[in-house]
Amino acid sequence: MSNTRRRTFIKLSALGVLLSGCGVGETQQTVNETFHQLSDPLNASFEQLLFSTQRLAPEFPAAQIDRLTPLGNTVEDVIPELDAQEYRLTVGGLVNNPTTLSLEQIQALPHKSQVIRQVCVEGWSKIVQWGGLPLVELLKQVEPTPEARYVFFRSAEGFRDTQGDLYGYYETWDLASCVHPQTLLVYEHNGEPITQENGAPLRVGSPIKLGYKNIKYVQEIMLVNKIPEQVGYWEDEGYEWYGGL
Amino acid sequence: MTTKSTTRKPPIPKQDLAAKLFHWVNIVSLFALMGSGLRIYNANPVFGGRGSFSFPVGMTLGVGLAGGRHWHFFFMWFFGLNLLWYGLYIFATKRWKNRYVGSADLKVLREGTNPKRKNYAFHRLVYTSFIPMLLLSLLTGLGMWKPVQFGWIVTLFGSWQTLRTLHFISIPAVLLLLIFHSLLALKVGEWRLVRSIFA
Repeated sequence: MSNTRRRTFIKLSALGVLLSGCGVGETQQTVNETFHQLSDPLNASFEQLLFSTQRLAPEFPAAQIDRLTPLGNTVEDVIPELDAQEYRLTVGGLVNNPTTLSLEQIQALPHKSQVIRQVCVEGWSKIVQWGGLPLVELLKQVEPTPEARYVFFRSAEGFRDTQGDLYGYYETWDLASCVHPQTLLVYEHNGEPITQENGAPLRVGSPIKLGYKNIKYVQEIMLVNKIPEQVGYWEDEGYEWYGGL
Repeated sequence: MTTKSTTRKPPIPKQDLAAKLFHWVNIVSLFALMGSGLRIYNANPVFGGRGSFSFPVGMTLGVGLAGGRHWHFFFMWFFGLNLLWYGLYIFATKRWKNRYVGSADLKVLREGTNPKRKNYAFHRLVYTSFIPMLLLSLLTGLGMWKPVQFGWIVTLFGSWQTLRTLHFISIPAVLLLLIFHSLLALKVGEWRLVRSIFA
């Protein structure tokens, strides 16, 4: 082996070590965060540039619905058991007409049914039917003020954190994705009233965002003008915020 | 660099800086994408789903699924833009006319008797097939990342599972082509040809 050859070989091996090992623990975490910080603003801007409220996700015939497999993962230790009669949805924040609605009132508003592909961050997807109120219809009623740019959702879903405290599931969306015609507040799944497991009485169901953005057991919707410090349950665990499809 | 080579050895081939740069960025981003791709694979194995065979963590890059995705969506830019500018460069410099496999090479592979010429033709076939292969991995990846904005890609491949499978197959395909590309480069031009494209 000539000197040059050996040098090249050493250089290549060093690269191999760098790519495969990256030390352990902390170093890996640092590398992760660096890549996230460097690419996420670019990725999110690119995704928002591609996005159009006019572009609809494909819809499927009912025969293609994946009925046999349960939908999705849950993070909760405690599945909230919300009484449909007592349930109330609060809509507030930067709106002209804050409101509180019962399930019956929500069901009296415009209804849309769609058979769409729901995609999970893990890589799998399922064809599901969602039926419910297009979020844009509700937003029209409450009239967001011009400053409103993001929508914060709070779920009734709770779980215990490492300290044993009950913690919540929450999500933040950009307003453009909320007014997309296929973003629904869902109370009907595969033709039936939605089950407890899948988010009864009301959840978000939209083909334009990854599964974890489609928050279940929605109790509160708040319009805000900037992204809050706590963006969402999974985002605060390191997942990307925009999560558009 | 040594000049005491034997008299019969041809000089080290001179490569364009663009070709060197392309090879470096391509190989680094491909390995980063493969490692982080396996990490993403493990979250929900393409073949069999949850609980099926997954890859040892030592073979993967990124911490957890979120980390794997950060790596993947970081290096995809280097990989994709590298392919793009190199493609433009190939057309601008008219390299596409004589650097890639052509009917003459295919004729040599079928009927040729000169083993050196055959190796040469085979090597051209191998590195040329990298192009559709890498474009396919880019297309299937784009389809899964943006199935709504690029709905036509999902439609083109028929089903989600086909898309996932084809995207995954990029890994063995890249590795296989890489092995053939390296071995044939060694056969055709020995170590100095391999070195010339990186240094």
